[in-house]
Amino acid sequence: MSFSHLRQHWATLIVYGVLMTLILASSVASDVFPTSRNFNNLIRQAVALGIVSIGQTLVLLTAGIDLSVGSVISLTTCLTTGLIHGRGDLVLPVIALVIVAALFIGFCNGVLIVKTHVSPLIVTLAMMSVVQGAVFLYTKGPVGEVPQSFSFFAWGKFGFMPFPIFILATVAAAGIILQRQTTFGRSLFAIGGNEEVARRSGIRVDRIKVATYMICSFAAALTGIFLSSRMGQGDPLAGERYMIDSIVPALIGGTSLMGGKGGIVGTIAGISILTILSNILNLLNVETYWQWVMTGLIVIIAVACCGRVKT
Amino acid sequence: MAQVKRRRGTSLVPLPLANFRDMAANVLEMQKISKAFPGVQALDKVDFSCVAGEVHALVGENGAGKSTLMKILAGGYQQDQGKILLRGKEVSFASPKDAQRHGISTVYQEFNLIQDLNVAENIFLGHEPVKARGFLIDTRRLYQVAKELLRSLGTEIDTRAKVKNLSVAQQQMVEIAKALGLEASILIMDEPTAVVSGKELDALFRTIRSLRNDGKTIIYISHRIDEIFEIADRATVLKDGHLVGTITPKDVSKGDLVKMMVGRSLSEVFPSKELGQRKEILTLKNVCRGKILRNISFTVNTGEILGVTGLVGSGRTELARVIFGVDSLDGGEIYLDGKKRTKGTPEKSISGGIGFATEDRKKEGIFSCLSVRKNLTSLVLGKVRRWCFVKEGEEKKIAKESVKRFNIMTPHIEQEVQYLSGGNQQKVILAKWINADSKLIIMDEPTRGIDVGAKAEFYTVMRLLARQGKAILMISSELPEVIGMSDRILVMHDGQIMGELSPSEATEEFILMMATGQLRKNKAEGELCEF
Repeated sequence: MSFSHLRQHWATLIVYGVLMTLILASSVASDVFPTSRNFNNLIRQAVALGIVSIGQTLVLLTAGIDLSVGSVISLTTCLTTGLIHGRGDLVLPVIALVIVAALFIGFCNGVLIVKTHVSPLIVTLAMMSVVQGAVFLYTKGPVGEVPQSFSFFAWGKFGFMPFPIFILATVAAAGIILQRQTTFGRSLFAIGGNEEVARRSGIRVDRIKVATYMICSFAAALTGIFLSSRMGQGDPLAGERYMIDSIVPALIGGTSLMGGKGGIVGTIAGISILTILSNILNLLNVETYWQWVMTGLIVIIAVACCGRVKT
Repeated sequence: MAQVKRRRGTSLVPLPLANFRDMAANVLEMQKISKAFPGVQALDKVDFSCVAGEVHALVGENGAGKSTLMKILAGGYQQDQGKILLRGKEVSFASPKDAQRHGISTVYQEFNLIQDLNVAENIFLGHEPVKARGFLIDTRRLYQVAKELLRSLGTEIDTRAKVKNLSVAQQQMVEIAKALGLEASILIMDEPTAVVSGKELDALFRTIRSLRNDGKTIIYISHRIDEIFEIADRATVLKDGHLVGTITPKDVSKGDLVKMMVGRSLSEVFPSKELGQRKEILTLKNVCRGKILRNISFTVNTGEILGVTGLVGSGRTELARVIFGVDSLDGGEIYLDGKKRTKGTPEKSISGGIGFATEDRKKEGIFSCLSVRKNLTSLVLGKVRRWCFVKEGEEKKIAKESVKRFNIMTPHIEQEVQYLSGGNQQKVILAKWINADSKLIIMDEPTRGIDVGAKAEFYTVMRLLARQGKAILMISSELPEVIGMSDRILVMHDGQIMGELSPSEATEEFILMMATGQLRKNKAEGELCEF
């Protein structure tokens, strides 16, 4: 790869540069930050957001958006803990059931979008309302409990490494391979770049879109399952913040809402930046709501810079 | 018209190649194809056939049915009636992919490329070479085969360059490589020369010829007569959805072909050239903008139509944008009504009496969801308002007057503009500027996408305005239009004006040579220009 090819990844390089700077600055600013205990903490915080953002990134690449992920996360946490209800033997069947439910929601999203030509924004917003309503019909407060074995997902260790890091790494690797090395991934960029051209090139646009929303819902379900392991209880509002939060890392990482540009590698940097920022502000005893202010500013700066680099 | 071959097999013309006569050798036969869209019979029992190793031009005016016929062949539409035989076997294509599988690919005019993917990725989009049981893309082969394909076309484009960084001509090569990557035996090229010129044009023609010599069939859609005579072995002419005939360009004259296409001679389309009161209105002196406009000087007078032509990318549209004040100048001066303009903005231009009917009507010209009335008064809201309220009564009066004056065909003035035909939309735009008291109207490709009948009517309106003392700066790439309508013609190439021609001395060949930079007209200037 020559220099001119590297330049095409300029935006990604910049985001990673910012991430490195943030890590260095944080290490200087706080003694606690570079400890392994804090590292474990960081990972646990990053995993939930990370998985769902990776799914969301794939949808964004097709010039779509999935606002229903938040409610799917809420649904999966409640169903997982509520149905397992502390019984170890039910863990696997319930996980399977929950994933199937999420895939079904993604399938509905996708089919509605490709068949009715209603914008993804509206379809998934409506779906969010439907699913969130269903969750509240199921439970109005924290529900269920999980067996010891199930907490391993969030709290377990593999050697000296926290287990969640393997979950995130696996999802990220699968996502990157899917996006970069497969025809499916190539089709995502093509559809987001120009749907009509993609269709004319013989890409089965509708199928790919449906599959993408299913993958996104699947990712949301994984986040939900992870959260229920971490919290030990289902919460009907557990996923609320992920509706918007899942989009933010992708935006910071250079994925365009117009589709066809960006990708998971950038999203991972975005996730890291957001998680570390939240962590360091905590460690420095800055009030939580400052995070919101900063997150907003970062998104605007990142997206504006991204556009600048392009031209 | 005696030389027209009316029906397959009953040729009146001695065909130059033996296999043309032998219909069994037809690679492709489309028989009695009909296709109707709501309100229009796009194709009516059209026959079309090709042999291997020929360049077969498909010609006709806009709306003649060329694109519809080719979309049916490429699997984009289904015919209502008729059948398609491919190598003697009847086929029907459910989708573009289906047609591609049968070896039919299209090189579209508006490119079929994803700007943010690279060259190789685009070439193999939708049929990437795979490994690991089809799970992963075989990246190594992807780049290797892409490189070979491009090399076979005689070009060395970097396979890892993003398409958006390529020149238009390079993109076209990628597009052709993409079609060849599908192992196409029949290649449909939709107006391939609309975007290239000069050396690139030669390279394109070389490529087309070598593909033909390899036994491929190239269906070449164009309305440029000269090109057809240069590249095509045969030409099929369509008009208003009917087959006019199939000819061998060698055996007919250019005039005959035009007559077949248009169905009437040019003098019937264009109104006679009457000038209005002439007065200098706009003068450009040594106007420069980056590399796109270099040292442009000319004058526009009232009462005349000044035609500006050139190939895509020659700076025509940029010139219009600079005059209208959308883009700024790097150097030079613009005088409007004899007064030097300091810094142009669209607002100042409008109040100074310049109107701009842009090339892309739908995007920049009209408010398509608003009514005819609201469009017609969109520039003069200041005149029909009391405080901040629009006086609808006066607005209606203005709108009704415009509809009558320009003969805008609309059921009523509250009709949304999007439901009007292209010709009538264009009239609305023109009327809008006239309502705003524009003295100079810049029209960029005024008749793009308008059918022939409506064109003739629109030309009459343009001429009427000129006679009434408006100045019209017409930018157009339709050479017959430029020659038929303009009182003076400026030809641009590479950001410069290559010379000024009078319509009597201008021929399509002459203009094209200037537009491709092969000819510059300096010496005769004094004698020909009326300043």
